[in-house]
Amino acid sequence: MSAPMEVVLSADSAGLMWNCAVFDLHTGSNVLSYRGGNSSARSLTVLNGEYILGAQLGKNFINVWEIQRKDQLQQKIVCPGIVNCLVASPDGLYVLAGIAEAVYLWEISTGNLLAVLSRHYQDLSCLRFTDDSSHFVSGGKDNRALIWNLASVVQLDSSRVPEPRHVLSCHSLPITDIHCGLMGPQARVATASLDQTVKLWEISSGEMLLSVLFDVSIMSVTLDPCEYFLFCGGSDGSIFQVSLCSTAVSRDKTFQSDGEGNQVFKGHRNLVTCLSVSMDGTLLLSGSHDETVRLWDVQSKQCIRCIHHKGQVTNAVIVPAPANMFLPDSRPGITLPRFSRHLNPSEQGEGVATGGACLRLGTRGQDSDETYLEKRDRLHSLMCAVTDKSVFGDGENSKVRVSELEEEVRTLKKINKDLYEFSTQLLTKPN
Amino acid sequence: MTKKRKRQDDFHKVKLKVGKKKPKVENATNVNFRSKRIHLPEQLNRDDGGPTTHRQLSIKDLLSQLHHYNSTVKQDALQGLRELLASHPYLVEQQASTVLPEVAALFTDKDGGVRVAATRLLRFLAQCIPAEHVAPFFPLLSAHLTCAMTHIAPGIQEDALRVLDVLLEHYPALLSQRHAVLLANFLELISQRRMGGAGGGARGGAGGDKGAGKGSYALSISTSRSVTAQQWRLTVLLRLSRFLQAVVEERPTEDRAEGAGFLSVWGGEKAVVTPLEVTWEEQACRTGAVRVFENSGAKPTPHSTYRLRPETEPGAGVSEGLCSAETVQGFAETLVPLLLEVWVEAMGGDRAPSDSGHLLSEEAMALMFQILTILQLLRRLAPHRDQQDMLDAWFRNSYLNEFKQHFMKNFPYCQLEIARHKKKTDAKRNRQQVVGGAAASGNVEPLALNVMLCQVMVSLSLRGRGHVTGQDADWLGPIRAFVTDTLSNGGKLGSKQLAALLEVVWRMIITQQSRLVTEELLQAVYIQYQQRNLGLPVRTLLLRFFSQLYIQEHQNHPHIARSRMLARWLASVPVQLVQLGSRNPQLSAQLLQTVQSAAAWGNNDVLRNLQAHACNIYDPQEGCIVVLPAELQQHLVQILYFMPAFPADVLACLSHACNTGRVSASLATALIRTVHLRSPLSGWSSSSHDVPVRDVDYLSFLFSTLTGFSSEGLRELQQADEEGLLPASALSPLSVFSTPLQQFTHHWDVVEEVCHCLETLGSRVQCFEILQNAIIKNLCGLVVLPDCVCAAMLRCVPRLLDVNFLPSDTLLHFLSDCSLSMLSLLLQLEQSARKRDAVWEACFAALSTVPRLLRLLLQSLRVCDLCEEELPLLAQLLSLLLQHTQLRNHMAANNALLQTIIQDLTRFYGSETREQWLTDLLYCYSVTLSGHRANMAVRDIY
Repeated sequence: MSAPMEVVLSADSAGLMWNCAVFDLHTGSNVLSYRGGNSSARSLTVLNGEYILGAQLGKNFINVWEIQRKDQLQQKIVCPGIVNCLVASPDGLYVLAGIAEAVYLWEISTGNLLAVLSRHYQDLSCLRFTDDSSHFVSGGKDNRALIWNLASVVQLDSSRVPEPRHVLSCHSLPITDIHCGLMGPQARVATASLDQTVKLWEISSGEMLLSVLFDVSIMSVTLDPCEYFLFCGGSDGSIFQVSLCSTAVSRDKTFQSDGEGNQVFKGHRNLVTCLSVSMDGTLLLSGSHDETVRLWDVQSKQCIRCIHHKGQVTNAVIVPAPANMFLPDSRPGITLPRFSRHLNPSEQGEGVATGGACLRLGTRGQDSDETYLEKRDRLHSLMCAVTDKSVFGDGENSKVRVSELEEEVRTLKKINKDLYEFSTQLLTKPN
Repeated sequence: MTKKRKRQDDFHKVKLKVGKKKPKVENATNVNFRSKRIHLPEQLNRDDGGPTTHRQLSIKDLLSQLHHYNSTVKQDALQGLRELLASHPYLVEQQASTVLPEVAALFTDKDGGVRVAATRLLRFLAQCIPAEHVAPFFPLLSAHLTCAMTHIAPGIQEDALRVLDVLLEHYPALLSQRHAVLLANFLELISQRRMGGAGGGARGGAGGDKGAGKGSYALSISTSRSVTAQQWRLTVLLRLSRFLQAVVEERPTEDRAEGAGFLSVWGGEKAVVTPLEVTWEEQACRTGAVRVFENSGAKPTPHSTYRLRPETEPGAGVSEGLCSAETVQGFAETLVPLLLEVWVEAMGGDRAPSDSGHLLSEEAMALMFQILTILQLLRRLAPHRDQQDMLDAWFRNSYLNEFKQHFMKNFPYCQLEIARHKKKTDAKRNRQQVVGGAAASGNVEPLALNVMLCQVMVSLSLRGRGHVTGQDADWLGPIRAFVTDTLSNGGKLGSKQLAALLEVVWRMIITQQSRLVTEELLQAVYIQYQQRNLGLPVRTLLLRFFSQLYIQEHQNHPHIARSRMLARWLASVPVQLVQLGSRNPQLSAQLLQTVQSAAAWGNNDVLRNLQAHACNIYDPQEGCIVVLPAELQQHLVQILYFMPAFPADVLACLSHACNTGRVSASLATALIRTVHLRSPLSGWSSSSHDVPVRDVDYLSFLFSTLTGFSSEGLRELQQADEEGLLPASALSPLSVFSTPLQQFTHHWDVVEEVCHCLETLGSRVQCFEILQNAIIKNLCGLVVLPDCVCAAMLRCVPRLLDVNFLPSDTLLHFLSDCSLSMLSLLLQLEQSARKRDAVWEACFAALSTVPRLLRLLLQSLRVCDLCEEELPLLAQLLSLLLQHTQLRNHMAANNALLQTIIQDLTRFYGSETREQWLTDLLYCYSVTLSGHRANMAVRDIY
């Protein structure tokens, strides 16, 4: 069996069998599990495809596993306080942790604590990066979500306190979940709140685009990759689907069923705490406090699979399967350094020597310069090449091909000749 | 011969003689007739080509007369035009293209009367034609206006200002687009260009030598004018300030909130995107999708704060005059020295400089006020906020010293009282006001002047880190003293003055960054705030000031956050909320917004006071939760989430509030959910160290909400003898009190939510046990029960019952009594569909989930105790139970019991004839049982 493309990573609050486990998205079978402790909500994250990080529930440390060594805890990172939420940047360079009301930003390569952002008034509930790691959004129990520019936060200018780029303050009760769409700084952010609304914002301008009012509090939110649908997990166990763009053409209106049943996924009996959509937008994963993780077919709104847990589900997410996950012999590219607990390690005589320049390079920073447009061009030419070759053939390829074909014709002729000779011999043989 | 004679006969000569009457000629016309004229005006009009004035002049004639050399004719023609257009309004539309250019050409007419008439006609036209119809002719109009404004004759210049007035009044947007040209004209009106060797009246004035270096303009006076130089300048500056106001307000750029008025500083920035607001129910019903993204989301919106490349606007044309800070700066560079000169002349012009320099005459005060207004508006001309800051810094660098020297020297200005003794001056003043065109320019209060001065000066103070303590103290000190005095001396202030003062306070607090200053100023504002009997706008302003100061600024400025005055105000907010009651929902909304933000941000002062007054706020009788409008109630419920603790008395209040009809059912469910989320039992709040809701309190809250009636209420009900009461009988062991439909449905919704909360509490068995004890303890002994309570119990027990748990007999007996009573109530009373459905659902759910309940119910039916009339009722009830598919199996299981009942029924029913109900019952019975047997048979086959 080949390794799956996407896997489900989930954790529950009891942690009886394992801390977190990996399931195959399509068969639902348990592939791997990682032991030791249990993880708090919205704190399980995959770092760079090599480590799994999970904040211990109610304690002040983060559990770290190497992704291929399933059973052993690799290390514990001790933090200044209880970690409410945790996220690693998609490029694998930074880790953000929400500890009490402050956001802590660590750099993976050195373990330095780069910034402590305390602009929230109450505990943080959720942290999310944009897909290009240029921005992150922090949501707290003080009803506000802040959008930060990572570059401006990282700047080592001690005289300037980092300011959030935008303050999203239209919610009237604590924010429960945030989802960041694709497209980097042009992405849209969906925030869910206990005030029964889900709001959609734009990162670039900080403006609110949409606000949907439900009749229950919303505990989790996600968008599908195309941003056609907004999925909202309610506190009564139903999952609402809001369609964001009208795809239905008038000609197939005759077959539409009633609106109500059409747009709600029913099955959970308690708070739906986590939602995630697969890469192709056909499967929806939901985790709930009723101790189950369910997989839904988005098109037909049916529950396809139900994975039982031993405690309230705290994390459930569909991730692309990291390459290292199924190779027991692989090794992480970098070893995790010790994470410092204070802002300026150089002053305490550890870490980087004073005056030394600190150079930070992305692991894929250099070769991933290709823009989307270039990528598109490349793909397009590739596709064209395939079709062209099959129809016309071009350049040297065609030369090679022609010679190949001539060769084949020659062989066939030879065979034909042989056959002819053989048969003439057979026929003309005087018996 | 004969020939001759004949000829004579033919030409017979009549001899006329003197004195004799002239004989009548044969061919004479008889004139004995009378003619009458037939007047056909319409016909004539058509021929003529248009309507005419009372002088029979058509529009063509009139227009041609406008070019007449005689001014009286022109004046008459203008009047005629006005008359004609007024009587035929449709002509205005038709002839606008011809009339407007002609009229505009007369702005520069030599004769004053013609100009006045032209202005009048223009005013009339402006009233009739909307701005978009004038737009094509506006270049022409403004060209003529410019021509008039720069005319050499002073009379024409004066009248040009009137034309400007008209245009400003009616077409501010169009006029402000031409500001590039017009602003220069204003300068020309009061000054002269230095370049070409300053002519006749030009003189340097006090600030002239300074101005010589920078500006190329110098103040001018001309002796030929009918008014004094100061009055003339006042009229010009008044127009200039109005014009700038129009420019600021009509600017099409993004920051519209900037120009919105005095409150803009703390008004916050408005969102440029109007978000879609959708509720789930609408969305679900409509089946259509929400359109969120423009351009299907491919392009980012133009409101992005990222500017990737400088935007070049090719077609901007005229409107780019004042779009950047640089152009504004350039204009200010020429204008400000002039204004300073005017100021100096106004100061010194009246009288010899003496120690009473702060006393001003009325005219000087008006002039100064206009100067300050213009300075203030200049600041606001810059379109972006960052540009505004830049402009402020530039002003500070270039003019701080001059401003300090001139404006601040005699700072708190007062009015010089002059006895109005001369009639002549009065007459002159009247005339002046006619020229000024507005009475407002005449009477400027000294307070307004001082406040405006504060605004201008304070905007010069530095913002940000470059500030050194003690810098600027020399001139900020008096301002601060003035503001503090004005606010705290107990006088009542108008809302406009107060808004300006508060703006000054806001700016000073932010720029000074000193705790001492902040305390002093806030103290003064607080004194003002504490006054009684303030008008509503004033009160709103003060409230907004404090709440916005807290919400917007306190995070960025630690000195504001630590201010004790602000803390004191915040602490008093919950009390004010209680005291305000339902009197003014707008103020309550403002207070609530503050409380909600402060509570969400964990402000201890507010939370402590909120906790202390929670019982009053959430009082079910007259607390804010019931008296305020629905949207504010929602805020109150949301604030509940942030309460540090829920003592038992608060929970009791909340439970009552849920069940009074004054809180809507959806809000009540939100309230229950909020308390549920705060309870540790819900498993949502992870922090375990503090327990906001004790489990005991929470469960009793849920139970009392479930019941919907307080224990006192139920006790009273036992004694009460109301008409809604159904007396107890053999068929209804409890006497049921029928509640109004509205209350029943409200309670039903609440019950649903409570059941949901109870379901998610964790261990079901324990939860049910607690509920069972509570029911047995509180409800089982009662004889009279409201129907909603019965329905609630029947609803929640089967939902919560775990298969492994055996409910106690007492509970089951109680429930069977409940269900029997409810069923018979339904059969006896005419109920609404909603209520009946709810009760049916509850009863059948209970009976089908708990099989023992059905058995108990059947056992309690003793036919021998029934009287004659009740027999049909019983039969109906039984047939209903038999018809229900879910109950069929259970009924069949109790077959023996059923059989005896039916036998008893037939026996006790003595009548000979078999009634319909009995037939029905027997039929149902046989069908159910046979169906059941068939089912059994089918099951056997499998």
